Amino acid sequence: MNRLQANICLLCVTLCWSAEVILYACVPDGVPAFATSCVTSFAGAALLVFPFRRRVAETLRTGGRRLAAGGLLLAALSAAYNTLFLYGSKSFDVASGAFTFAMTVVVLPVVLLTMRRRVALETWISVALVLAGIVLALGPSVRATQTTGLAVMGAGCLLRAVGIVVLADMAKKHDPIAVAVLLEAFAGVLSLAGWFAEDPRLFAGLPVSRTLVAAWALYSYFIVGFAQALNVFAMRRVTAANATVVYSVEIVFSLAWGSLLPAGIVERIALSPRILLGAALVVAGSLAEILDVRGKRREAGT
Amino acid sequence: MKTRALLRLAALVAVYLVVALPFKAMNLIPGFTDIRPVMALGPVYAVFFGPLGCLASGIGNLVADAADDAIRWTSIAGFASNVLGPLLVWWFWTRVSRTPFSLRTARDLLRQCLLLVAMSALETAIVAPAVALVYPDVDAALLAWAVFGNTAGFPIVLGIPLAILMQEEFGLAPVGRRPRG
Repeated sequence: MNRLQANICLLCVTLCWSAEVILYACVPDGVPAFATSCVTSFAGAALLVFPFRRRVAETLRTGGRRLAAGGLLLAALSAAYNTLFLYGSKSFDVASGAFTFAMTVVVLPVVLLTMRRRVALETWISVALVLAGIVLALGPSVRATQTTGLAVMGAGCLLRAVGIVVLADMAKKHDPIAVAVLLEAFAGVLSLAGWFAEDPRLFAGLPVSRTLVAAWALYSYFIVGFAQALNVFAMRRVTAANATVVYSVEIVFSLAWGSLLPAGIVERIALSPRILLGAALVVAGSLAEILDVRGKRREAGT
Repeated sequence: MKTRALLRLAALVAVYLVVALPFKAMNLIPGFTDIRPVMALGPVYAVFFGPLGCLASGIGNLVADAADDAIRWTSIAGFASNVLGPLLVWWFWTRVSRTPFSLRTARDLLRQCLLLVAMSALETAIVAPAVALVYPDVDAALLAWAVFGNTAGFPIVLGIPLAILMQEEFGLAPVGRRPRG
């Protein structure tokens, strides 16, 4: 996989993750979010283990405790930043929440600098474009009363940035399938703990139906199995900063879902010129990163 | 057909069904009854498994319809479109293209997208008139857009990354180009 292909794959991953909201809407009422996260994480990991059991077993044998600790760290970071985003986004409307979520793209290069890692000039240009888009879209809607929400979202972005850096490092060192399996397996364990705390009856307390099984199956295939594996494979070929710029396109997909889908599935978004211009700047920043117009970018790890 | 080919066909149909069947169990988006991400598999099967993969796509679609109790006369057109569409992709990469299947450059990707749009147009041209003929009360234009959207959209947004993954990371070789003449 070359850099262009990796970026195409990351775009696909971003699209799949943005569609998570559609699948979540199909999960019947009364099913805890932890239950969905637990079952789909384990099912997604199992889907990856089944055809690749030999390479996963081999990687786990050679990677040892260090690899397992990395998987646990990734799952813990993921759980922590998702929780922060959940609470932080309550301070904003849907569109503003999506834009604040994308602040990771600004936080990540700073994280990299503190780790004394180089960030390419082209990435800084992309980051500047995406940041301009975020500021433009958020400008009039963020008020002083939302400072707490903004701080919570900022903390979430910081943890997400660290998670992306850790994942990029692990993807380059270990077999991507094994990394994806570990991440999802530990995410399943953490969700199981949350589910048990919320409802100790676990499966016995679920309104099991055909729809629930179908929604969980689709979630396991597309959001967990396919998207996560594709994500880790792509991460081998690009830098963490590059990946984050592409992830920021999730705003555009979220805005598209919010304006196109019925209100029963998503909160409807009223598209203002500011939001559209902000989204256009985010797309411009991502395209600059994906298309490599100067043709001078090296592939990560090469 | 040899046993090995039959087993491969069965495995491809099984994978198709595993992806297709959950969509039959629920209405993903109210008002949009026919969302079929499984359509991404047809051209991928064609590229990596040739005519056998195309046949698997047709059979998979037919069995999925049967499981949903949706077998009609128009299922014949559905079967034909799900075989012939991917077959167009296979034919292009083995008989027309001067280079083997690859998605490594922007030009390759653009070419594949155009090919998938052509495949989608062919499938729409088979299914929509057949449905309009058998069921005159069906909105043929809306149906044509639904077929076109499913057969072009999902192979582009999901199928292309899947093909990249299979070729570049899992080392699956696309079916070979046949010598001319």
